[in-house]
Amino acid sequence: MNALVLPVVLPLLTAFLLQPAGRLSAALARWAGPAVLLVCAGLLVQIALLTGGEPVTAAIGGFAPPVGIVFYADALALLMAIAVPVSALLLWPRAEAGEAGVRQSALMLLLVGSGTGMALSGDLFNLYVFYELLTVASFGLASATGTGRAYVATVRYVLVSGFGSLIALAGIALLYAQTGSLNLAQLADLAPERLANPLGLAAFACLLIGFGVKAELFPVNNWVPDLYACAGKPISALLAGVVSKLAVLVLLRLTVLVFDSPEAREMLMVLGLAGLVTGELAAWRARDLPRLLAYSSIGQLGLLFVALSLPGPAGLAAALAVALHHLLVKPALFMLAERWHGSLDKLAGAGRASPLAAGLFTLFALSLVGVPPLPGFWAKLLVLLELARGAGPFDLTALALVLAVTVVEAHYLFRLVGILYSPGEFRDRHSPRALAVAGLGGAVLVAAMLTLPAVSDALAGLASQAADTAAYRTLTLGGGL
Amino acid sequence: MTPLDTLYLASAATLAAMLVLGDWRRAGVLATLMYGVQLALLFTMQRTGSTSFDLSALGFELSWRFDALSWFFAVVTLGTAFFASWYGAGEWLRAYTGRRRLFQSALAANVFAMLLLLGSGDLLTLFVGWEATSWAGFLLMALAGGLARDAALRYLVYAMAGAMALLGALVVLFQAGGSFSYEAARATLAAMAPGPLWALIILFGLGFGAKLALLPLHLWQAAAYSETPAPGSVFLGGVVGRMGLFALALVLVGLIGIPHLQALAVPFTFLTAQDVVAWVAALTVVLPTYTALKQNDARYLLAWHGIGQGGYMLLGLIVGSALGSAGGLLHVINYAATQATLLMVVFGVRHRVGHTDLNRLGGLVARMPLSFLALLLGIISLAGLPPMSGFVSKWMVYSSLIQDGRPFLFLAAIVGTLGTILSVYKLIHNLFLGQLRAEHEQLNEAPLSMLIPMLATATLAFVTGVAPGLVLGWVADAQAAIGLPVIDYTLGGIASPRASLDMLWVVGVMFAGFGVGALLFYGAGGKTHRVHQLDNYAGGHFLDAGMRYHYSDNFYAGLMHLIGGWYRGSFHWLEGAIGSGLSLVAQGAGGWYRAINPAFYLLAASVALIAWVAL
Repeated sequence: MNALVLPVVLPLLTAFLLQPAGRLSAALARWAGPAVLLVCAGLLVQIALLTGGEPVTAAIGGFAPPVGIVFYADALALLMAIAVPVSALLLWPRAEAGEAGVRQSALMLLLVGSGTGMALSGDLFNLYVFYELLTVASFGLASATGTGRAYVATVRYVLVSGFGSLIALAGIALLYAQTGSLNLAQLADLAPERLANPLGLAAFACLLIGFGVKAELFPVNNWVPDLYACAGKPISALLAGVVSKLAVLVLLRLTVLVFDSPEAREMLMVLGLAGLVTGELAAWRARDLPRLLAYSSIGQLGLLFVALSLPGPAGLAAALAVALHHLLVKPALFMLAERWHGSLDKLAGAGRASPLAAGLFTLFALSLVGVPPLPGFWAKLLVLLELARGAGPFDLTALALVLAVTVVEAHYLFRLVGILYSPGEFRDRHSPRALAVAGLGGAVLVAAMLTLPAVSDALAGLASQAADTAAYRTLTLGGGL
Repeated sequence: MTPLDTLYLASAATLAAMLVLGDWRRAGVLATLMYGVQLALLFTMQRTGSTSFDLSALGFELSWRFDALSWFFAVVTLGTAFFASWYGAGEWLRAYTGRRRLFQSALAANVFAMLLLLGSGDLLTLFVGWEATSWAGFLLMALAGGLARDAALRYLVYAMAGAMALLGALVVLFQAGGSFSYEAARATLAAMAPGPLWALIILFGLGFGAKLALLPLHLWQAAAYSETPAPGSVFLGGVVGRMGLFALALVLVGLIGIPHLQALAVPFTFLTAQDVVAWVAALTVVLPTYTALKQNDARYLLAWHGIGQGGYMLLGLIVGSALGSAGGLLHVINYAATQATLLMVVFGVRHRVGHTDLNRLGGLVARMPLSFLALLLGIISLAGLPPMSGFVSKWMVYSSLIQDGRPFLFLAAIVGTLGTILSVYKLIHNLFLGQLRAEHEQLNEAPLSMLIPMLATATLAFVTGVAPGLVLGWVADAQAAIGLPVIDYTLGGIASPRASLDMLWVVGVMFAGFGVGALLFYGAGGKTHRVHQLDNYAGGHFLDAGMRYHYSDNFYAGLMHLIGGWYRGSFHWLEGAIGSGLSLVAQGAGGWYRAINPAFYLLAASVALIAWVAL
């Protein structure tokens, strides 16, 4: 399955060739990026169709794992890998003339290549490299608006990211010292004997902090509000949407394959709850829409980590439901924030000026709060049921907190809906593209609601496949060591 | 297709029609007819039950069906919707300045959502219906904007808190019993240890109590119901809050059961779970009723009474005897007719005058005599006096409290009724009695399209008062559906050896008394002397027609001198304190994300994590 490598390599290659190509032809520089993304998305879809969701692997350069580097593509990895170029296409930055435009396109391609790599990698060091690459690309994209505030926010982001990378590297070093391998499948084999100790847990903590930066995990997420508020909205949408989910995917693989211990789960749950509560409460007091969405994103990802801490395929299914819901809703909301910036109170009248946007916002808000029969409700219900299944004092506290925070969430979202629909002077309309992206999000959301049985079956399939560690190991290592 | 399918189809069709045609001049008439069709369909359905469709999602079965309890509440729902819509179909709609399509659709959505809730065949469906009802209610409350929007947002917080408590209870119950079905829940609850059972009762109580506006979850209701456009307010006030009672009847009585509640003791006290619920209901009767007494807006006065009357319903239901629970359930239908009448009159006054400020009205009986008649019948019923229907249901609740040996609860109910009588007198006096204000001298009676429904509901309240047997059959079936002892009724009332009531006799004697009085009066010559409305006295002094004098402000000054100090605003204080506390925590959370130097925190966090690992 060497075609798996192409969606990673093609964008990276194009990114490096784009600068010289820009000298030759402006049109080439402008259209090469989207064209390559289309090809990548097409390739990935074709792979998905060919394999029919069965996991496949690709050993890079023909070197067999665990010595060589391996790509592992099960249904979940492919889904995330497809989400990367598709999101990037939908959220492609507005074409700027000249150097700046070319630079931005190159950075986007870099982000897509490394993001796809992160989704497919079956090797921790490789993951780390792609993660770093993606981080660097996102620095450039985040500061592309060129305002002072964006620079300040980006510097802060750089600071936290650099710190996170350092910690992650320390974690990887610890892992390597303990096991002598960074291949996830082999780590999964070795974990029970070598990593079931405080050192193993410390390695997990380090990796959690490191990859948690992008995943908006609690203590390393305070770059989020400023950056999302100051960066271009498509970039915020991309970071909050697909990029954060890639980091989550890494943590998901780590918890499922390597660190499947109660202590690690406890750590995830505590940090998730802290993110959930602080994020939603901060969103409650937010005074402008981009920040509100950023805080709400932190809260939603907190819920995701709570879900991720739940054991078994059912817990994994809950986590995936929350993740996919957020992947769909948050970018769409950020696109709506494109024109709805400034103080929340000034948005009065926006509902009259653009009824479609206000209607979509209401739909997303309902789904985020978890109003049946919208998909957000089912995602939340799965999490709550799993928390109730655990039934320990810890789980029940988490259950109570998730429920309580939902009330806060409903209040701030519908206070805003109330403002949107009250009479006022706000007249800005959205760009057609922002509306199209948000509308697409809404359409998919409604479609998922209408085909709920099929969607839930697919979700259960994804989860059981992702939870099947034995399959991962045998397939990657070819029947064990 | 089952009869219930047809009903749902008709209700969905009403919603669709209003979404498409809501702006049409005659949309109100169309909606009224369609609610009428739904009501007719309901009457053709068997009271004891009908099934509808099933769905399956994520491995959960969702099913809808009607039993006699659903049917009973559906009658009240559709009846109220029919009259409320009629009320708003004519001149009211022509004068309405808001968005008509939105309003008509919101009303239809409420009806549809409530029918879905009433038809829920398992706990998950119950939650889906509950949320649908809550959000449809939010739409109806918020759509007028301004004050209404603020009130609706406050409602939303209470409703969501309730819904989340309910959801918490449901997931815990699911994990204990492995299913959302009522049968599994009943079995699980029967076998549950006292601790978890208490937790579930509290969660269910919070969940359903928020909609019924039980203490201490009642603060949102008056403003949210009052600020809604007239037909919406009539509908909300008449029936929407009662969904909480329906759900409590279903879960507390139907699934847990009164005997189980009686057996469940509050640790370290002599109280049982039944006593606790009964006292919450009794406090809900007393405190909001006396809050109503202090209102100076007719709409708010009635809305506060709505909260108190919900307490009577729960009080009767939770007593659990045939008589008490029948009284509680009967009060749902009686109160709906009563409150609809009263609100229609008040909004009729508002339609003509432009406001409902009790300090700036008076003497309207001379201009709006038929509205006055409807209001008079309504307040008699609300106060629970014969010959109106409110008397029957309240009498049943009182009798059951005495029979059950609960004198203090009985006393609370009586104190509540006293407050009701005082405040409805204030209502009729400040609206219709006393002097007519100069600016109202050219006023007309409410338009016919508004008069007919208000007189119709007043007539219903009268007829079911004289012959409660007409509706007691529905109540008896509903009792049977949730496993309560069934009331033994006759056309005139109740046939029971310990407490029988025959309203045909009561009303007969009453009207005979009037007849004797009339005979004496006219026999003595029937001397009458008409005086001008402004021709009156105050404190023994004659006031000439040029001196306007209408006593309305600070209406019960003497009483307030006695009990005024008891109004402490504790619930408002509690609400504010929770809000401020949350705000403080939120400020802290926001502060974390605004920290200027994140690196320090990161270092601290890493050290903490490593310490955690090491420990």
